[in-house]
Parts: sequence; structure tokens; C-alpha cells
Amino acid sequence: MRTKFRSGKYMPFVFLSPFLVLFALFYVAPLIYGFYISLFHKYGLRPPTFVGLENYVKAFTDSGFLSSILTMGEFFLIQGSIMIGLALLFALYIDNEQNHFRGFFKLVYYIPFAIPTVISGILWGFMYSKSLSPFQSIFGVFGLHPNFLSSGSLFWSIMNIVTWEWVGYNMIILYSGLQSIPRELYESAKIDGARNFDVIRYIKLPLIVPSLILAIVFTVIGTFQIFNEPYVLQSMTYVSTHFTPNLYIYTTAFSYGNFNFAAAMAIVLALVTFAISMIFMRFAGFKEE
Amino acid sequence: MDTKKSLYSPSTLIIMTLMFVASAYFLLPFFWIIVASTKSDSQLFSTNPLWFTSPFNFLSNLKVVSSYDNAILWRWFLNSLIYAGSVSAGTTLISAMAGFAFSKYDFKLKNVLFYIILGTIMVPTTALVLPIYLLMHGLNLINTYWAVILPSLVNPFTVYLMRIFWMKEFPNELIDAAHVDGASDFAIFFRIGLPLVRGGLATVALFSFVNTWNNFFLPLVVISKSNLYPLTLGLQVWTSITTTSVGRGAPPYGAINMGILISIVPLILAFIFLRRYWQSGLSSGAIKG
Repeated sequence: MRTKFRSGKYMPFVFLSPFLVLFALFYVAPLIYGFYISLFHKYGLRPPTFVGLENYVKAFTDSGFLSSILTMGEFFLIQGSIMIGLALLFALYIDNEQNHFRGFFKLVYYIPFAIPTVISGILWGFMYSKSLSPFQSIFGVFGLHPNFLSSGSLFWSIMNIVTWEWVGYNMIILYSGLQSIPRELYESAKIDGARNFDVIRYIKLPLIVPSLILAIVFTVIGTFQIFNEPYVLQSMTYVSTHFTPNLYIYTTAFSYGNFNFAAAMAIVLALVTFAISMIFMRFAGFKEE
Repeated sequence: MDTKKSLYSPSTLIIMTLMFVASAYFLLPFFWIIVASTKSDSQLFSTNPLWFTSPFNFLSNLKVVSSYDNAILWRWFLNSLIYAGSVSAGTTLISAMAGFAFSKYDFKLKNVLFYIILGTIMVPTTALVLPIYLLMHGLNLINTYWAVILPSLVNPFTVYLMRIFWMKEFPNELIDAAHVDGASDFAIFFRIGLPLVRGGLATVALFSFVNTWNNFFLPLVVISKSNLYPLTLGLQVWTSITTTSVGRGAPPYGAINMGILISIVPLILAFIFLRRYWQSGLSSGAIKG
């Protein structure tokens, strides 16, 4: 293969330097600094004292933090399955050239992804609130008067917002995977007498496993970081601060001023997210190049 | 050809109907906000949430939002443009340079460095934003445009994307040809390279513009002066004032609804007219480079 640049050794670093400088300042330094302060404890106005890993021990025994992680674990299992299942069905539909209105569906399902999640939160929050909700009249026909913002339904109401926001995004990931399958495979399967369903079952699904894993991993990362939707809804109804880990960490840092403990929890959250993502990658036999 | 038959089979019709029902679900919040933006506060609470009513108050809501608190919403709009515009321009150039270095040069530790950068995509934003807040505090940058812009300029994902575009769109043979003509590395990058990867530049520019426009968590943490708010933060603050207080002076719903509409119209337009780039970003991300 014809070579790349052979200019001086420093040239690549000239091109890399703007990124590397900012990366060091706003990625590497905060991570190191976050870890550093997580090893201290601050009592009132006194200077911080070194406490080693005490904040981490505390994180693993803090009922609020653990409950937030468990809540999001449950959220991921239920909402993640529904969302990726729907995304897969939609992707299969728009991938099949015999289907009608593919362009329309692709656009319409994907559009919520363009909206800031805070704005989606406000919009759905308004639509959930009794006085503004279009659903009250719809459900009222059946004699139902649901309260979408009650403590019992909040979990499901937030799932609905997150699903609305992200189905289209996952659909596009899976659709891109489907589009990269060589069309000749379908032709030869058809000649062998395969029906549409067989093509999906034996060709499409096995070949988009990498895209599926990618979608699942993105969902894991996204779910454990949920913040905006419950934060926005806090002004409309009671949302427990340990609904999501990020809400809990944010409250610990900015309402209670305990940055040290918050930093430790943020790192634990990063590790939990990383571990679950890795499990899915291993599970699918994903290999690094 | 039996495609005609399969198009109109009952199962096809049922599936298509379900796809249209799903479309209604995805479009509902948009329709709701368009309807709501034409209503005064009293109409909002007393008329059918899913249909227009007279008198039509779209223009008067626009007037309200443009005068409330000295037209601060337009200031937020301008702020969002400043944040998103400068981050988009900066990130695109920085990522193009870094992607160029990673794809066109060989240097020590190249792969190690690249995989470290790629790995940080998994770091949850809280783990970064918390220490970034403390660092910004130390640098006296809290409540400045820089506090939002600087950390947003670093994006491992856009570096990854640009590397793929450089590998695909810029043949290495061009380098030798240009060197023979006596062109410097910078000339090759700016004059020959950038025009060739313009599709990638557009993708990255759009991606980071929308990301920054939609960002909420970072501004929430580093900005507390209302005249520096981006739209997302400003609208969330308005919503929480209006929904939690019955007192005088709270922004009317008419202003909030109009503000929401103003915040999403540019995104929807960008989404529809530039959807080629939205998708190419995702699909290149989904296929391993």
C-alpha cells in the first residue's frame, strides 16, 4: 500500500495538539481530579481530610444510591427491551423495499431524537398534567381518569418519554446495519424458496447482531445517565432524588454541597455502566479489532 | 411478479395501519405544542387540548414571549446560537485535524492514544461535569460563555467520525502527488484535504451544533446568571417557576409554549433539510471503521 506522510516526527502532533490540549484539560484532568477529591472528606469549614476509599465504601452502602442504580437497572430491563424491540420492528419495516411510506416513517419516528431531552420532558410533563392533558379526554371516553404523575405511575410515564425520544435513534442504528447486508443474499434465499419471515430469521437477524449490541450498549450508557426528564418533572410532581443515580449525585453535590461523596458515586456509576456494557459485548462474542 | 398481491394482503394492511398509529404517537407532542402555541392561558385550560380555537392567539403569544422580562427569551436564543455555533465550528476544525493525524500519519503510540480517546466515549457526563465545575470555579470561569464552550469542544466521537471520513474520502496517493508539487502538510490539509471530506465536516458540524443546542446538564451546573442561559436552561427555569408558583410575575404558559416552539423549530428544519448528514453520522458510527 502506498504510504502516508513521511514528514517530520512532530507533524502529526501539530495536527493533534488542539484536540490533545483540550482533551487533557477537560477530559483527563477532570477524571483525575474527580478521583482525587473522592478520596477526601470535608467537615464543615475545616480543610478536607484524606479518608482513602471511605467514600466508596459509603457509596456501596448508601441506600439512596443503591436504590437509584437498582431503579435504573429495572428501567433498563423493561424500557430497553420495549424500545429496542420496537426499533427492530420499525427498522425491518423500513428496510424492506416492498413496504410503502418507508421514507415517511423513517423521518417521523426519528424526529423526536432532534428535540432537546429537557424540552421533551417539559412537553410530556404538560401533556401528563391533569389540566393540560389531551389524554384525559381520550381516556375519559372509557371512564378512565389516570394520573400520569402519581408516584405509582411516574416510573412508567418517564419510560414513555425516554422511549419516545430514543426509539428512532435505535431504529436508525439497526437500519444502518440492515442496509449493509448485501442484497444478493436475499435474492439467492428467494430462489431457494425462503419466505420473508425466513429471510428475517436466518439472514437479517444474525447479521445485525453487532448493530443490536451497539444499540444495547448505547442504551445501557444512556439509561444509567438519565437526568433531564426526572429533573424537569420535579417541578410538576414529587420525584424522589434517588430515582436515578445522576439525580442523586447532582443533589448530593449541589444541594448538600458534598462534592467528595458525589465524585466517588460518579466514578462508581462510570464503573457500573462500563461493567454492564462489557458484559453485553462479551456475551455477544464481540472482539476488538 | 406477485408484489401487487402482497402489497394489499390483509397482513400488509394491518402492519401499515400500525405503523401509522405509531406515527401519530411520535407526532402527537408536536401537534399538541402547535395547538397550544395558538392559545391564551385561559383557552389552554378550558378548550380541547387537541384542537384549535378562536380567537387565534399565536401572534399575541409571540408578543408576550418577546416582551416578557425584556425579551430575555430572544437573548437565550442568541446565547444558544453562540454556544452551538462556536462549539460546532471549533469542534469541526479540531476533529478534522485530529482525524487527519490519526488516519494519515504513522507515529509512536498512535493506536494506544486512539483507543484511549475512543474508550472515553463511555465516560458518563456526570463524572466529568462535577470536577469540571470545580475546575471552572478555580479558574473563575463560572458564569461565562467559556464555561460551556471549552468543555464542549472535546468530543472523542467526532474525532472517530472524522478519522473514518479521512480514510474513506482522501486517497493516500494524493499526498505523494502533492508533495511532488512542493505542497506543505498544511497546504495538503487545508487546500486539498478539507474540500474532499466536506461531507464529514458537515456531519460533524451538524452533530456538534445540535448536541450543544440540546445540552442542559453542563449549562445547569456552570451557568446561574439568567442572561447567559441557553434556551434549554431558560425554558426549564420558566417552567419550574410557573408550575410551582401561583404568584404574580411568573411567565405565562403562552410564553413557555411559544418558547418551546421557538427552541425546536430550527432543529426540525435542520433535521428535515439535512437528514442525509444526520444519518451518515450514525451509520458511520454503527459500522466499525
